[in-house]
Amino acid sequence: MENTSSGPILKVENLNVYYGSQQAVSDVSFSIEHGEIFGLLGPNGAGKTSTLSSIEGLITPQSGSIYIAGYDIQTDPVRARANMGVQLQSTSFQSELNVLEILNLYAGLYGVPLTAEKIKSILQDIQLESDAKKHFGQLSGGQQQRVSLVIATIHNPTLALLDEPTVGLDPQSRRQLWGRIEVLRGSGKSVLLTTHSMEEAEAVCNRIAIIDHGKILATNTPAGLIDQHREDPRVIKVSRGGKITLEDVFIGLTGETVRR
Amino acid sequence: MEIIIPKQSQIYRSLLKADFLAKWRNRRAGAVTVLLPIIILIAWKQVVKQFGGPFALSMCITFGVVAVGLMGYSNTTARDRERGVFQRLRVTPASTWNIMTSRLTVELAQIAIMTVVAFAVGYYWDKIALSPLAYLFTLVIALICGMVYLGLGQAVVGLITSAETINSVSRFLYIAIILLGALGEFGVLGKVIGDIITWSPYGTVKEILNASMQPHIWNGQAWLALLITLVYGSLFAWIGIKWFKWNT
Repeated sequence: MENTSSGPILKVENLNVYYGSQQAVSDVSFSIEHGEIFGLLGPNGAGKTSTLSSIEGLITPQSGSIYIAGYDIQTDPVRARANMGVQLQSTSFQSELNVLEILNLYAGLYGVPLTAEKIKSILQDIQLESDAKKHFGQLSGGQQQRVSLVIATIHNPTLALLDEPTVGLDPQSRRQLWGRIEVLRGSGKSVLLTTHSMEEAEAVCNRIAIIDHGKILATNTPAGLIDQHREDPRVIKVSRGGKITLEDVFIGLTGETVRR
Repeated sequence: MEIIIPKQSQIYRSLLKADFLAKWRNRRAGAVTVLLPIIILIAWKQVVKQFGGPFALSMCITFGVVAVGLMGYSNTTARDRERGVFQRLRVTPASTWNIMTSRLTVELAQIAIMTVVAFAVGYYWDKIALSPLAYLFTLVIALICGMVYLGLGQAVVGLITSAETINSVSRFLYIAIILLGALGEFGVLGKVIGDIITWSPYGTVKEILNASMQPHIWNGQAWLALLITLVYGSLFAWIGIKWFKWNT
């Protein structure tokens, strides 16, 4: 596939991932357009992280193809990764380095020149000017997420992959992060985010895919998903009466059983 | 803004700078590996008198390289793997080879520093003087020996995933290698065990370090020891790379 700015920024086709004999992802296909925020929703063990890890190039799928900005993550990983920014679920940077040094390291890894002015502006933007010499582990959860997001987007990627970015954040920090995600969309960037929060999915996502047992069960806009499944007996059965919500649709499609 | 495709050399420089900084911040732990050979050089003055300077110096450097490979490298790698540091680096354009080469370069630099410090202490404290060629040759050999124990450290993190278990196993291996090596060398454990130790990773490393300090006595046995050392290094590295997992 040729690199093209007019095609989807992310194209996943017939993805299959196995761990031994257990299939974690089964024939998953979806694509993300420029300027779109796409949410991947699923219960624990549904296949979200395996799908995301395949896109990031951390695991090699048994079959299927993944193109980022037209570059195949398996055959052209450097170009593919240069086009994406990643925020992992449990981000960890070298504990011996401070925020400033982490910024410099990751800017170097993406070939981004960082001037003193640029560093100052980044630190101002994430409100960490006075904490630049602090080590990552010394920051609060909200500060850590801001650093992680700024690192993920330090090279101005066309696609940002955010794995449960608001887990453990207080409402203020969560709202702030949503704002930052929307700024990315405003500048024409695309975002793939995984989340357990229906509120988050409804608040920021243009489209959502519900995944379970490694398969995509439904893909639509948040409102579209509700409309599409309003009459589904599985959804009506789990609804708590009154208006059908995205959570009703999610639980209706994925079941009420608590996953490990 | 256009997407930049970074060169691997530029990536390597950034990684190296960060890894050196991390090593510097951890200098207390690193100092232990340098201190041990020095303490032995200072405390074992009698060994120098009885067995000669190169014998004592090669033993100290051997202890040092074993410490760097087993106590330093394997534990740092295990800890960073458990924390997800490698996974975070792997989602950038940095190749896995670049990530590991940078770390190994820093460890080799530490071995070089430890060797030079051992030379200096040996010279000023024990009056062990080598020719300039012998110093240079020994430094190169120390780096080769370092690669064997970095390979062993890699094999440990390749075969074991838990950082806690790696910490225990590497300590055990370190003490076993040092203790068996030193006792075997002094003939305390008998001839058969002594012969086994002579051709073990401890013995071959010690042999080539000892010979490199006296280039005029570098002989067939030293060549054989060098060859076996390289085989050990390749074997450990192969095991360590084949079974290494980037996350736990």
